[in-house]
Amino acid sequence: MSSSDQQGQALIESLLLGMLLLVPLIWALGVLADLHRSALATAAAAREAGFEAATASSDATAAAAVDAAVARALIDGGIDPAEARASWAAIPRLERGAAVEVQVSYPVTVVQAPFLGRVAGPSIWVTSRHVARIDPYRSL
Amino acid sequence: MLVLGAIQVAFVLYARNVVAASAHEGARAAVELGRNVNDARTVASEVVRSSAGGLVEQMEVAVSVQAVGDISVVRVRVTGRLKSFGVIPLRIPVGSVATSVRKEAPA
Repeated sequence: MSSSDQQGQALIESLLLGMLLLVPLIWALGVLADLHRSALATAAAAREAGFEAATASSDATAAAAVDAAVARALIDGGIDPAEARASWAAIPRLERGAAVEVQVSYPVTVVQAPFLGRVAGPSIWVTSRHVARIDPYRSL
Repeated sequence: MLVLGAIQVAFVLYARNVVAASAHEGARAAVELGRNVNDARTVASEVVRSSAGGLVEQMEVAVSVQAVGDISVVRVRVTGRLKSFGVIPLRIPVGSVATSVRKEAPA
């Protein structure tokens, strides 16, 4: 093979290799950023819901307050609350001095396409848990 | 150059997340007992400074309180521009809005 036949080969190889390395790198960056955002949003949602539930007077109002707080916090974080799972429990029950535990989970789809968003595939569940103490001297 | 561009993309994504978290922290601070909207500004600014350093420039924190019945909704908007240091000579804008609710209007 003469030198004239090889002209431009290095450029093509560099471009192909660069793309081959860069595409997974950008994809990984996107997934990691989404994981980070989801971790921040679920932590904020769990904390917000914990505060709300700890000031609720009954199980029904606490459940409604948790749902509203989680939805608000996740929307603020750019996350669809319909895909998240939220659960809460008062230990031993919703009374003075008790503990309220809130857990919020959200699936981060690993396979995502730029400008298209989520593609069906495996997900990484990001879970946050917050325990709030009900004020032992509250009026209700 | 491509690697530097990828690093800059990573910083943009990180800054966006930090700004979103700072807005939420600010909104949360505004509704806590004994704190007010000035605390929201302070907390949001401090979160960005401590988490992103000088990455976010021209940062502005706007706090508004809207009374809805017996509750008040605190809305914190944090905006700024990403410091340009890489191959992309753009100061990319980042911003986020967070809301929080309290039973009585903040002082």
